[in-house]
Amino acid sequence: MTNYIIRRLLLVPVLLIGVTLIIFGMLQLLGPVERSALYVTDFPKNEKQIEGIIKKYGLDEPFFNQYWRWLTGVEDPVTGERDGGILYGDFGYSRTASQEVIGIIQNRFPNTVDLALWTVFPMLSVGIWMGVKAAVNQNKFFDQAARIYSIIGTSFPTFVFGLLLLMLLYANNQWFLPGKMSDWVSQLVYSGEFKQYTKLLSIDALLNLRFDVFWDAMRHMIMPIITLSYISWATFVRVTRSSMLETLRMDYVTTARAKGLKENDVINKHARPNAMLPVVTMMGGSIVGLLGGVVITETVFNYPGIGKAAAEAASQLDVVTILGLAIFTGFILIISNLIVDILYAFIDPRVRLS
Amino acid sequence: MTENEVLIQVDDLKMHFPIYRGVIRRQVGAVRAVDGVSFKIHRGETLGLVGESGCGKSTTGRTMLQLYQPTAGKVFYEDIELTALKNEPMRHMRKNVQMIFQDPYASLNPRMTIRDIVAEPLVAFGTASGKAIDERVRELMGLVKLDPDFMLRYPHEFSGGQRQRIGIARALANNPSFIVCDEPISALDVSIQAQVINLFEDLQKELDLTYLFIAHDLSMVRHISDRVAVMYLGIIVELADRNEIYKNPIHPYTKALLSAIPVADPDFYETHDRIVLEGDVPSPANPPSGCRFRTRCPIAESYCAESRPEFKEVSPGHFVECFKWDHPDNKRR
Amino acid sequence: MTEMTTIPSGDNQLLEETKSDRKITWLERILGPDNYRIVTGLFKTPASIIGFVLILIFILVAIFAPVIAPPVGSDPMKIPRDGFSGEPKGPGAEWKRNVPEIPFWYTPLTGNEEWVHLLGTAQGQYDIFYGIIWGTRTAFQTGIIVVVATVLIGVILGSIAAYYGGWVDNLIMRITDIFMTLPYIMMALIFSSVLTPILGRSLWPPLIAMITFGWMGYARIIRSDILSIKERDFVLAARASGVKNGRILFKHILPNAIFPTLVLASLGIGDVVLGFAALSFLGIGTEIGYADWGQVLSFARNWITVLNRYWFIVVYPGLTLTFFVMGWNLVGDAMRDVLDPRMRGKS
Repeated sequence: MTNYIIRRLLLVPVLLIGVTLIIFGMLQLLGPVERSALYVTDFPKNEKQIEGIIKKYGLDEPFFNQYWRWLTGVEDPVTGERDGGILYGDFGYSRTASQEVIGIIQNRFPNTVDLALWTVFPMLSVGIWMGVKAAVNQNKFFDQAARIYSIIGTSFPTFVFGLLLLMLLYANNQWFLPGKMSDWVSQLVYSGEFKQYTKLLSIDALLNLRFDVFWDAMRHMIMPIITLSYISWATFVRVTRSSMLETLRMDYVTTARAKGLKENDVINKHARPNAMLPVVTMMGGSIVGLLGGVVITETVFNYPGIGKAAAEAASQLDVVTILGLAIFTGFILIISNLIVDILYAFIDPRVRLS
Repeated sequence: MTENEVLIQVDDLKMHFPIYRGVIRRQVGAVRAVDGVSFKIHRGETLGLVGESGCGKSTTGRTMLQLYQPTAGKVFYEDIELTALKNEPMRHMRKNVQMIFQDPYASLNPRMTIRDIVAEPLVAFGTASGKAIDERVRELMGLVKLDPDFMLRYPHEFSGGQRQRIGIARALANNPSFIVCDEPISALDVSIQAQVINLFEDLQKELDLTYLFIAHDLSMVRHISDRVAVMYLGIIVELADRNEIYKNPIHPYTKALLSAIPVADPDFYETHDRIVLEGDVPSPANPPSGCRFRTRCPIAESYCAESRPEFKEVSPGHFVECFKWDHPDNKRR
Repeated sequence: MTEMTTIPSGDNQLLEETKSDRKITWLERILGPDNYRIVTGLFKTPASIIGFVLILIFILVAIFAPVIAPPVGSDPMKIPRDGFSGEPKGPGAEWKRNVPEIPFWYTPLTGNEEWVHLLGTAQGQYDIFYGIIWGTRTAFQTGIIVVVATVLIGVILGSIAAYYGGWVDNLIMRITDIFMTLPYIMMALIFSSVLTPILGRSLWPPLIAMITFGWMGYARIIRSDILSIKERDFVLAARASGVKNGRILFKHILPNAIFPTLVLASLGIGDVVLGFAALSFLGIGTEIGYADWGQVLSFARNWITVLNRYWFIVVYPGLTLTFFVMGWNLVGDAMRDVLDPRMRGKS
């Protein structure tokens, strides 16, 4: 198992370099003039200035020079000050959001985490429960219903589902709300009375013992949570069910029954743990996806997370922000995938004992 | 069958499969599947190669045909050294040396018709083309007693015994002289086995074939072999004429194998003891020192661990690798 | 055939045995055993029949679009606009400007002499019915282009990796890993918006973006299938027969290894269309007013607070999209069920 973990760890630098290269490479497809315009806050009107910017940021130099510069920044030969450099934590300045990119990340990422936090439990528990129940009751009513649900669920576009939810639960009667927080809450937060321990609104609300704030946070998050969950449920049902069915067909399950075990024990002690392995892999993927891939859901619900920030930056062609957010997200995903893979090593006895 | 010309010669053939461990996949050892095997096969004869699962007999057959790259040793066909040939010349040698596989369900491409399967060796060398291919396929199917009208069917429409015969037809396509038969009847129903063995013998007579017949069961090879070699853990422990080995086995392992063949006579066991071997087969990655069989041998001594016995010709044509080949402990059956 | 008369006695039994009981239909002869199973399997379960029917309906709509929704103006892919008013009109609203011709089926079916907006309009007076009908063509175009391209790239890379092994395999797999780490939608979004200034606003930026980030699944699956097929006896037998390596790959390995990839591809069309619709919804990709379901849906973004009033902007294109994807998913699932038990055991 240690070998597996070591080899998995060695993959991380490869992934990091590869990811940064790809993202940086995409941006290089734009010519130097366009890119120059996006590195400064107001677009200079004459050629001389544009050339100056190109020179300063080395925008017409060979690929790897620019890559290196982007990583380490530009050092002013006179003052010795460093301007830029991803490795130094400087992600640049966002034209569209009028703040440092790192600021965008700091403000928005906790919101995405908050949403992910509250999605994980409903997503996993309901999905797996449905799948196991469907497999155990194969071809009976629950199974048929579950299978229909899984077909519809995987075909239904998330943003349409989101729009329908908005139509039903918001447009009509305002039970649940898009966005992150009501006006009174944001005033409260920025007034300083509300202590932001974790920057996760829901957790902070609990820590501040403000249950009204907590409920407001929930009201804003329920619709995105359901939207994110329903499609996972559909996929989970399918994978759990088929994995469970395959396991139930195995000889060792028949043996367990022949030994005289109660059916409940056969299912819960023998079949389910083995059936869970592919499901766990999928679970890992879903959770990781929550952190990096919720662009659409956040946009539909106007939820101020990292995904929506990326969508805004992309539609305005804010190169700097796009780069910064993409790198950050890539980094988060590499780490989460690593954690998931390592945890998986502990779960799967075939890896653990090799 | 009566010519004494040597068709196949195997010299000290070794096939080691590396074992990789560790983060950077270093080679830490090797599975020594075939660890120094030598024999000759004469034109027209059948050499039976017997041993338990994992002793290396299938690997020997495949390595001889260069389907695996041998770790060491030489293989000769007539006077051509197969092991020295590069890829393309070796490919051409495959007109002369062929193989029949054990699993009739896995050795035929399920998506090809019988005709295409049997014709493939012809197409590979351009031995026949156009109509001649169909004629030849019919001829081959007739040889193995399959109705040629079934040419355009698919493998899954046939039974195991029939599929095996399709495999035989394929092997015969380019008129090979030598065929390695890798446990060809082990996967068949017992009732079919005898018929297929008969087919093998008939074909041998008709087409002047030479066989290496691999099996895990001594009774299976008895009928068809001229000589028999017994393998254990990658080496040959005994080699003798067929009658000699059944009447006069010397190596304790051969004796144990023979005694495992059930005799349908209750009185027989009043005067004969079953020899039951103790212990498990050692790992081929780490064979015992000295004589490999000593860990399970009923008559092993301490000196058996010190060095490997010589592969000795103890009587004309009868070779044994055992220190105690003429020891009183080593009783005759 | 004359050989048979010289068989020694007792062997006639072998010959009798070869008469096979199973009747083989002519269709199976032509298609081959595998494809035959797929075709019959596809028509066995009600689910897959429904899927098939759905896809068929969409194909017909795409083909007969000019008849169902006669084009107004030179480019049928530009949704016709009834004026420029910003207020969406509901289904059945009058069509005053830029009215198309009346197709033969219109009056008998609807009982109206003049065109109305059958499904309503969005802001800017884009007719939703037209958007949906012509959007079918866009869906097929994008789905097929992206899937074919990604399957090709994936199969080529995966085959190279499996065939050569060693450092080539390692390199290709690491590259695949890197691409897989990145979140698909975000990357497609970014790449698409980067390409738009270069290529202009058309279908191509999102298509290229989706192709660039969508081939990895196919590469992995074909690679693992090739690796496992490579070890099968019939491949070894082909080598022993003297067949050349290239022919082994194309005649023995690939035809047997390709099926899981095909299953993935059929499910992939649904995913691609969903993804493309998502990108259009986000405003990346085609220009406003292009006949694409995601594009029509993006009109709804302006009316979030009053969605119950303008529900038709969401419901009609949304249902269309869902049914389209569902059709492909049903067929893909059925294919998977047909091939799965087979993949798992004897040939």
